Amino acid sequence: MSATAPVIERIRARIGMSGPPLEATVEAGHLKRFAEAIGDPNPRWKGEASPTFLVALASPSMHLPEAEEYGRGWLNGGNRFEYLEPVKVGDRITATGRVVEVNEKTGSSGNLLFIIFETEYVNQHGRKVARVRATAIRR
Amino acid sequence: MNVQVGEELPELVKHPTTRQLVQYAGSSGGFYEIHYDQDYARGVELPGVILHGLLKAGFLGQLVTDWLGDRGTLKVFDVSYRGIDQPGQVYRCRGRVTRVDGNHVELEIWGEDQTGKRTTVGTATVQMNG
Repeated sequence: MSATAPVIERIRARIGMSGPPLEATVEAGHLKRFAEAIGDPNPRWKGEASPTFLVALASPSMHLPEAEEYGRGWLNGGNRFEYLEPVKVGDRITATGRVVEVNEKTGSSGNLLFIIFETEYVNQHGRKVARVRATAIRR
Repeated sequence: MNVQVGEELPELVKHPTTRQLVQYAGSSGGFYEIHYDQDYARGVELPGVILHGLLKAGFLGQLVTDWLGDRGTLKVFDVSYRGIDQPGQVYRCRGRVTRVDGNHVELEIWGEDQTGKRTTVGTATVQMNG
């Protein structure tokens, strides 16, 4: 068993547990600043969320202080977005995330810890608008 | 419907700058120091500040929605970050249609660094309007 096994076990104990729900309103100014940061001039994003906007409204990964005991830094491994309903300006969104998977893998430059989060975004009508998966890597 | 397997999406070429990384950090809340603090980035064995994976996802999202327009709806968008990208270097977003089944269309999408290496790879599924 590696020296990092206790850290991994503590993170694994979080699997399935939801983090605190985060609530945020989709604001026109935020949509505008986000589209400008990407450099996407499509006028459509004045009134609705662009494909990756929800991650700016509420992070798709949870804060896991214990994960920082593993390795030296974070890398983003990937993101998967599933869109169920449109998200428009003025919508009140509640995001709830949970840890779904924790795996250690051996890479070319040492061991890596993969933590997969899944966050569900629900609007003010109680309708699920999107599900976002995030793969966070400690290295 | 006018979509064929093998059709290439019009290329989207980005020229990210350190200013853009700060803009993205501010608008997304992604304040990890490797995206704006050169010393911090080098301290964790990076060559300097690097693009947020999610900024590259944003570029690829733009690639898909520019191509799609109002002809359909994006249903699934899935990207994996395979390599780092630095500001000051060109980032090319490309894609092609891999499957057409009625109104269901699948795309392969990727982002290339200046050497042509695919540093981001992914797929998208769209539902074309009936």
